[in-house]
Amino acid sequence: MVAEEGKILLDWDALEIGETFPVYEYMIQQDNIDQFRKGVMDQDASFPTISHKVDVRQYDKRYTDNGSVNARCSFFCYNTPIPGKRLFVTAWIADKYLKRGKNYIVTEAVTTDEDGRLIDRVITHEMKQPGEVGKKWG
Amino acid sequence: MGIEYRSYNLGDEITPLVKTMSQEAINDFEGSAGVKHPTQFTDTEFAQERLGTAGTIASGRMSVTFCLELMRRNFGADSFNRTGMVDLRNLRPVRPGNTITFTGKIIDISREANGNKVTVEINATNDEGNLTGVGKGSVIVPSGFFAPEE
Repeated sequence: MVAEEGKILLDWDALEIGETFPVYEYMIQQDNIDQFRKGVMDQDASFPTISHKVDVRQYDKRYTDNGSVNARCSFFCYNTPIPGKRLFVTAWIADKYLKRGKNYIVTEAVTTDEDGRLIDRVITHEMKQPGEVGKKWG
Repeated sequence: MGIEYRSYNLGDEITPLVKTMSQEAINDFEGSAGVKHPTQFTDTEFAQERLGTAGTIASGRMSVTFCLELMRRNFGADSFNRTGMVDLRNLRPVRPGNTITFTGKIIDISREANGNKVTVEINATNDEGNLTGVGKGSVIVPSGFFAPEE
């Protein structure tokens, strides 16, 4: 596999737990929320931040790899995001492990808004051999 | 106005949540974050190449979102949206056309500094009766919402 220009080809062994990525800044607008609520079929869904996958966004900006599948995900709610407020995400590599011959990377991210409100925290375990999904489940 | 007391007991089963997945729903979930390029969630060929699956799958985060809804509907947005959490292990792919039933059972109630933490065991089961996800959710329910102890 060749690294995309400007990205680092993932070396799982060399990846350091604790590596922290630059703060990612974005904003959610009402139309994002409306589309999110339509997608999850819940007009009261209050954490559209989850679809932004912010814990892996900065990882994906720095590294290139064979892709991944979400093996486990934890989501902690603190305050619902307000449309039009800027959101700031700090994400880092929280852990990595080898299980049944497959490599996993655990990313964690905390989001706050421009007023300093804590919004949410997300932790995701990504299995880095996505082709295993098709082999097992077709 | 008087407070409406809530009652939770170990072993209680909470009201289930049923969701039928569609490609349109998956596209909206992904599109709500501004994703426009093909992914394993939105493009069949991409999924076949990347995952080796017959077609697209739903992001595991959609199932997490459904678990958040399950908990919020059962414990109230006032508590859940400030103190709730869900931790879900994805066991099988969820595909367009699948109907998933999310069920929960209270497995622990413990006192915390800011109320009573209610912990729920969560299962997600597809229409073939197979588990697609297992996990836990929790919420801190303020002690003031419980009837005073005798």
